Amino acid sequence: MVLKTSVEVELKVNGSLRKAKVNVYTTLAELLREKFGLTGTKLGCNRGECGACTVVMDGKPVYSCMVLAVDADGSEVLTVEGLSAGEGLHPLQKLFIEHDALQCGYCTPGFLMSLTALFQSREKITLEDIKHSVAGVVCRCGAHPNILRAAAEYAGLR
Amino acid sequence: MTAEPKLLVKGWVPPKLDRPFTVVGRRINRRDAVEKVCGKALYANDIHFPGTLYAKILRSPHPHARIKKVDTSRAESVPGVKAVISRNNFKDWYTYWYKIPQPGFPEIVLYAGHEVAAVAAETPEAANEAVGLIEVEYERLPAVFDVEEALSECSPVVSYSDVVVPEGPFYATDKPPVRNVWGGGPAVLSRGDVEKGFEEADVVLERVYTTPFQHHGTLQTRTCVALWEGGRLTLYDSCQGIWQAKEDLALSFRLKPEQVRVIVKYMGGGFGSKSGAQRYAHYAAALSMLTGRPVRLELTRAEEFLSHPRRPAAKFYLKSGVKKNGRITAVWGRVLINAGSGGAYKPFKHDAILHPFYLYDCPNVHLEQWGVLTNLQFTGPTRSPLNIISSTAFESHVDELAAAIGMDPLKFRFMNYNPYADPVKKTRFSAKNLDKAMQAVCEEIGWDSPQRQHNGRYRTGRGMAVYMFHGVGFHPYEANAEVVVKPDGRAELRMGIVDIGTGSATTMAMVAAEELGVNLEDVDVMYGDTDGTMYAPGSHASRVIPEVGPAVLKAAAEAREQLFAALADKLKVAPSELRSERGFIYLKEDGRPLLSFREACRIANVEIVGRGSRAPNPGPYPRGGETSAVNFATFGATAAVVEVDTWTGKVRVVRCATAHEFGRVLNPKLVESQHYGGVLFGIGYALYEGAVHDKKTGIMLNADLLNYKIPTTLEMPEEIVCINIEAEDPYFAYSAKGGAEGINSAVPAAIRNAVYDAVGVWVNDFPIIPERLLRELEKMGSRDAV
Repeated sequence: MVLKTSVEVELKVNGSLRKAKVNVYTTLAELLREKFGLTGTKLGCNRGECGACTVVMDGKPVYSCMVLAVDADGSEVLTVEGLSAGEGLHPLQKLFIEHDALQCGYCTPGFLMSLTALFQSREKITLEDIKHSVAGVVCRCGAHPNILRAAAEYAGLR
Repeated sequence: MTAEPKLLVKGWVPPKLDRPFTVVGRRINRRDAVEKVCGKALYANDIHFPGTLYAKILRSPHPHARIKKVDTSRAESVPGVKAVISRNNFKDWYTYWYKIPQPGFPEIVLYAGHEVAAVAAETPEAANEAVGLIEVEYERLPAVFDVEEALSECSPVVSYSDVVVPEGPFYATDKPPVRNVWGGGPAVLSRGDVEKGFEEADVVLERVYTTPFQHHGTLQTRTCVALWEGGRLTLYDSCQGIWQAKEDLALSFRLKPEQVRVIVKYMGGGFGSKSGAQRYAHYAAALSMLTGRPVRLELTRAEEFLSHPRRPAAKFYLKSGVKKNGRITAVWGRVLINAGSGGAYKPFKHDAILHPFYLYDCPNVHLEQWGVLTNLQFTGPTRSPLNIISSTAFESHVDELAAAIGMDPLKFRFMNYNPYADPVKKTRFSAKNLDKAMQAVCEEIGWDSPQRQHNGRYRTGRGMAVYMFHGVGFHPYEANAEVVVKPDGRAELRMGIVDIGTGSATTMAMVAAEELGVNLEDVDVMYGDTDGTMYAPGSHASRVIPEVGPAVLKAAAEAREQLFAALADKLKVAPSELRSERGFIYLKEDGRPLLSFREACRIANVEIVGRGSRAPNPGPYPRGGETSAVNFATFGATAAVVEVDTWTGKVRVVRCATAHEFGRVLNPKLVESQHYGGVLFGIGYALYEGAVHDKKTGIMLNADLLNYKIPTTLEMPEEIVCINIEAEDPYFAYSAKGGAEGINSAVPAAIRNAVYDAVGVWVNDFPIIPERLLRELEKMGSRDAV
């Protein structure tokens, strides 16, 4: 049997259908960053530990470095670039700026996309939900209190 | 005698602003926030050029070995490989760090992870494959990892002679290391007679404290793209100091400085680890120069842990005497710093002993700091480099002294409070209000009426600790800034700094806007590129605000005076009669605006370029036992409330208050973020973080983010109260000194002291992992049983 090395995938990224030829070992993060030029998705470890590469795939937050591009075939993916597509900033982005919920900014897309997945998942959100939804994203600058403030305000908790 | 206090600038000193602030002190959002929340901020990893080659480094698997032979022939034959560099073709080549030369490919590797060769190839896959095919013949040498072993007579000696220590004003040659001791002996700070002090004491306590290797854990792993083109090297890097990287690379490749350009617009975390040119950037540059192609080098997370200069670990021996009335009579200390196999130890050679020497009013003190070389990776600057070591050990010790005589730890600190720099010579800091900081944090957490729970599974307690941070101006004290005012009325501030996430671009623009008297929106900022800017310090050691601040203030004041001179001519008034505020020009003594700043620029119709440069701090630096009439430092305190789970040994920080005294706050919103960052680094150091090395091979066992735990939203306290103690300090721009460092230093001891308050045991080995705490609880339990 001849092993497949490259495959064509098609997925919906930030509302548009995108196609690319990828290696079977190419990750979704690499596909987004290198083939589609969507470098807003950051790689901090490339092994599912830091969460910077989190995107929303079919409504769920995923570490895009841990998803193979071939497994994302046919899926719908939202990246940080898609958050503000169209008319100005997304309210969550505005709150991040207002509360200074970022410093170096490298983990910021991971936090924004984890929270987006949470807010899309259900109506009623508690502070505990918020804390746990981003516990898989590492921020070394210590923006956590401000991230929680921004998210809580977005959820109408304050 | 002290000269009249004045703003630390060269030449003409701008007069003090004679009006209330309009920009400074406001809660302004950071400038680059939109780019960051939209994913548009381009970090070095995001920059791509056509024809880019991918580089990969081969690292030594051995902690100490002589390289006898490197065979790269199989690697070179891998399809797509364009260049391989090693000792074979880059033999007497040095990389530079803070202008310190380090052999690019050493004959003797000093730690597991030391660079042996590097490859550039068309694809990352080919580069990886080629690295695996390089054959290296090593002669393994005996290695040492523990400081005490390294100091023993029979220890293997770290082959440090391989590294040249250069002459220079700041890194001047110390005596060469003798048997693994940096400089051949300890740095000493001493006053009075400790033996006499011990005789006078009612209680003498001897303790040992250990602190871990802490890693910076920047979210962005070190990445650069090097481009050699037309006889010029351009480096898109992730570094904290573009001008320092430029100097280092020029030295390494014997280029003229103008042949090197370094660009860092965005950077994913530094915390001291990315100061100056780093080794990996040199390999990328060398490979680009060989191939004439852009070369991208991105470290993996594991390489990030294994190869960058981290915070040294320490073992702190302390012996102190105290009287029953609460006075400390003597302090003797010896700290052994595990400096690894090198790096930038020299500037820190006193830093772990400054705290006990300067903060307490004790007449008899003898402190030694030993820099000990081992076969572990390099060590270097890390947020409050050795300050956190000394605060962690000594502030823990202070609580034990207080407990030994049954005194409240806060009262004990006030009783031994030293308002001076040197309590004997009565020299002063330019500002010191540590007493106010201590008071403020303790009031905030309700020190005198604590909600303590001393029974049951979960117990709570409160603790506090203090710090000093002395990075308030640093050699070579060179910082420049330019403010250009264009005929359309917009100003452009140009600085050779990197905004590493602290918001320097925003705060410095605020200083320029304030001094020019314009609205902040009318100031553009150019930074992060050595082309088009003048020399500035790296964004480390909290030096941007205290060093670049005065330069920016002066550049803006000069630009304003140039405008006033041209305008006065046209308006037939004296320049001294004019003032500017919020984008309007006024006649002094008149509340109505004459005209807008924009209109004024049009009328004046001259090219306006203001320049400012920082002058050195007056007098000697508070190092090496010397104290001058004026000393500079920032101070602060932390108080924490913790909950201890006595079943599992887990500690949770419930509340935390931090007070930082650093002159004036330019932008409270951004400073609060620095408080939070300090708390995160401090909680990590206290409870979770630390490299674990295999005792036999020295190899780091937890070089990943699962086993090296960085606090997340679940570990951060529910409430952090940030307090800024403001004080006038005429030497700095609007009194503002650095706010990024210091804060983390007192967090670990505050937590550890709170754990004692909760459960009655002292934990002296950091981090306080459950295993250690349970062991102490068990010991106490067995004592109780007896």
